[in-house]
Amino acid sequence: MSDDRKTQVLILDDEPIVWKRLKPALEKAGYEVEAFTQSSNAMRRVQEKEFDIVVTDLKMEGIDGMQFLTEVKTLSPKTEVIVITGFATMETAKESLQKGVFDFVAKPFKRGELLEIVKKAEAKVRQ
Amino acid sequence: MHISQMMTVIDKLKKAFSLRKRHRRQVPFVVLFKTFQGLLEKNNRILDSIAAMGDKLGGDYVFDKNYVVSSCQEVSDLVYKLIYDLDTIAPGKYLDLYDAFQRINHEIEEELAGRPVIARADYVIPFETISRDSGDVVGGKIANLAEVGNILGLPTPEGFVITTSAFKAFMEYNKIWDRVRQESLTAKVGKEIRGLIAQGSLPPDLKRALQKSTEKLQQAAGDSKLFLAVRSSAWGEDSIHTFAGQFKSYLNQPVEKLVERYKEVIGSAYSPSATEYRAKKGIAEDEVAMGVGCQVTIDAEVSGVLYTLDPATLEREVMVINAIWGLGAPLVSGEVPGDRYLLSRTPPHEVEGLNVRRKLTMLSPKEDGGTEARSVPDDLQMRPCLDREEMLRLAEMALVIERYFKKPQDIEWALDRKGQFIILQTRPLNLQTRMANLVCNLTAAVQDHPVIFRGQGDIAQRGVGAGNVVIVRDDEDMEDFPAGAILVSKYTSPRLAKVVPRASGILTDVGSPTGHMATIAREFRVPTIVNTGKATRVLRPGQEITVDAEENVVYDGRVKELCYYEFTEEPFEESYEYRLILRVLKKIAPLNLLNPREKNFTPGGCRSFHDITRFVHEKAVEELLNLEFHERNLDAPAKRLKLPIPLGLLLIDMGGGLEESAAGSQVEPAQVVSLPMKATLEGMMAPGMWSTEPMSVDFGSFMSSLTRTFSSSLATPKYMGQNLAIVSKEYMNLSLRLGYHFNILDAYISDEVNDNYAYFRFLGGVTDLQRRSRRARLLAELLEAHDFRVDVRGDLVVGRIKKLDAARMVEKMRTLGSLVSFTRQLDVKMVSDAEVESTKETFGRLAAGEVPERN
Repeated sequence: MSDDRKTQVLILDDEPIVWKRLKPALEKAGYEVEAFTQSSNAMRRVQEKEFDIVVTDLKMEGIDGMQFLTEVKTLSPKTEVIVITGFATMETAKESLQKGVFDFVAKPFKRGELLEIVKKAEAKVRQ
Repeated sequence: MHISQMMTVIDKLKKAFSLRKRHRRQVPFVVLFKTFQGLLEKNNRILDSIAAMGDKLGGDYVFDKNYVVSSCQEVSDLVYKLIYDLDTIAPGKYLDLYDAFQRINHEIEEELAGRPVIARADYVIPFETISRDSGDVVGGKIANLAEVGNILGLPTPEGFVITTSAFKAFMEYNKIWDRVRQESLTAKVGKEIRGLIAQGSLPPDLKRALQKSTEKLQQAAGDSKLFLAVRSSAWGEDSIHTFAGQFKSYLNQPVEKLVERYKEVIGSAYSPSATEYRAKKGIAEDEVAMGVGCQVTIDAEVSGVLYTLDPATLEREVMVINAIWGLGAPLVSGEVPGDRYLLSRTPPHEVEGLNVRRKLTMLSPKEDGGTEARSVPDDLQMRPCLDREEMLRLAEMALVIERYFKKPQDIEWALDRKGQFIILQTRPLNLQTRMANLVCNLTAAVQDHPVIFRGQGDIAQRGVGAGNVVIVRDDEDMEDFPAGAILVSKYTSPRLAKVVPRASGILTDVGSPTGHMATIAREFRVPTIVNTGKATRVLRPGQEITVDAEENVVYDGRVKELCYYEFTEEPFEESYEYRLILRVLKKIAPLNLLNPREKNFTPGGCRSFHDITRFVHEKAVEELLNLEFHERNLDAPAKRLKLPIPLGLLLIDMGGGLEESAAGSQVEPAQVVSLPMKATLEGMMAPGMWSTEPMSVDFGSFMSSLTRTFSSSLATPKYMGQNLAIVSKEYMNLSLRLGYHFNILDAYISDEVNDNYAYFRFLGGVTDLQRRSRRARLLAELLEAHDFRVDVRGDLVVGRIKKLDAARMVEKMRTLGSLVSFTRQLDVKMVSDAEVESTKETFGRLAAGEVPERN
């Protein structure tokens, strides 16, 4: 991956407020961001385009987050996935980490915290 | 248990509890104290949860509706169990608390279900009583203007609004609704509706309300005849949709014509152009609700419009003022061009363009109502309408408004004959898409500016602000605080409140995002980061900086791209989630029960969950104090602590709080091994802290102390001076009545860092309210300086700290102990503000171990 290309981030959360608040923070930090509320739309998008980092909620209508991140990792193993969820249990945390998730963040979180994690994920992608 | 299930069994429980009355005081002592400890633990968890919810208002967090719902459930659940605990301690005595709980919980559930509990609004509301949430009732335009007047404190016209409730009542009274709800509102139907409205008559209630309001305005106007501008203020007008120029408005109308004009304004909602506009925007006809503002006529010398960011020359980044002599209508409608001044957006707002046009006519109010065009005297035709000083004043006001609404603003203003600027209207300039060009190289711009610090402190109010640093150290610095500067201060003192609206940003060294200062910053939406630890040390006065209280970064220089970027975002304050958490917090967080000696300190007086929590805590402690340890044969005897200071303190050990050798009815301080108790005692007895110098109490204070005492139910002899400590190895609850102060310290210290906390509460005291509030300020500032999270309500001060390691917790308890001794008689001393500062220094010196001088 060349360095002049902006790091591509996809955010999926069925609560629009979550990506509305995240997108600007990431854009300000120099990322190119696409955001989705519907998991089916996000699924279509990852099939078209490879993202460097995917930030996704777990519990959603339709295709749930676990399914989505499994698909992302299958399509593009290099993509780092960060899970954000309001219903964190040990089981879901364990399951997602087993699936190769980069990090697991409980909602609500500070924007700065998530930004730090995205930066770490970016460093790993760019290795 | 789920809340709704809980509700269904409440009545049964109440019945069951009332049976327990007969068994009062049969509860074994150990159970009593276990319950008490559980109650305190819940009390702390509730306060934590409330604070955590409050933190979310700062804008640092990302949260969704689920969070709001689950937080409410958590608090509700804890409050319910807290009431249960109190009932175990004092069976059947406070059953009314369940009613208070049920009432508040129901209101919260309604809010969460999207059925806000709105009281049916009055038909007529004076501008000065319009609150932030009244947009639905007063219409968008007036709601905006009321915020400018009532929150920002800028001059706006006097008057009142005829509400949307009145509009609906009028439409119902005259049976017009059915026509409106027709499938397609054709031009013909629209005309018919306008006809019906014109012929309609006001409902009697509305007529009366209108008459009362105009009479009140007439009284204020004195002998001069009252004239009003009658202007539309429809739902959503000026906020979501502009409806620019769709509705009618009338200037300088005599009171006799008010009803006729009112009907014409609401009729204009059904003009062909307004109907067409709604059809285009997808607004349903029954969503129409017209408020009508009635403003006292302003005899303007100059009027005009200001854009805080000129859309015509966006890349120049200037504000533009258009101005004409007389009333502004001809300028707003575009009939005449007027003068045009371009001003820099940054202080001191240099003039970047001056285009003075020949002004031949001006619009003036006619003596008997209405307006007329007059010719402008020769010498004024080519004179600029505003001088430099006036431009500057107007620019500063405009930016206060822009900072508050977080969007470039389109502001109508007037300069009256007394030289005062009055804001007539403000609305956002819709530049969203074009703004994008200004911020396209954001990343590069941000990288060009050195970061002074990042991730230090807590965001109290989100946003971005740029300006020059002004470090405020004492009251004098505040007098000439320049508009648009960045306020930098060590503490978050309530006295800074008066300059907050003028600041572009605020940075403090210490303080908490729920403190008083943070509340004010949020009120005015000034970007604020508190508790940075070093702002006053690393920033130079006059240094130009940018405070990014979105990402918690402070940059050197003005990163204007960041400021503009903010304009492109939907303000967090306008989001549904923000408004929801704000609304539920109104039923959870406010503390209305301040003083246990006041009449409203009852279950019925509880208006929020915080009130219930406070009530339960107070009563639980009181119940324990009432146990009369000496007279009753209790299984946990209280021991008297032998202290070198005159403080009668009883101590009950729940386990491990005293050395095993401590037998008998008296113990030495050295025998205390309870970690928090030991530290508190050390602090209390530190040299110089327990002042022995006699205090002269002036007569007024003395009298006020008498009345306060005698009216108090707590002033029974057995109760006065009763001080009680309940301890275990890790725990302490200390209730003190020192003089007339009520002081509670509650703490837990162990090796488990996450469980550690300390809670400090202080209330009351002889002397007048001013001195008491000075003392409250002193306490608040001292506590904040020691990293406590502080809440001040009147003369009640609550400080909390948690999750420090044992060694640091012990240090904090010593400080609290010292504060208890030190502030014992302070209110008597607090005769001036200067005293607060010098007393603060004295405490600092004593706390640092300096030995006091003896006189």
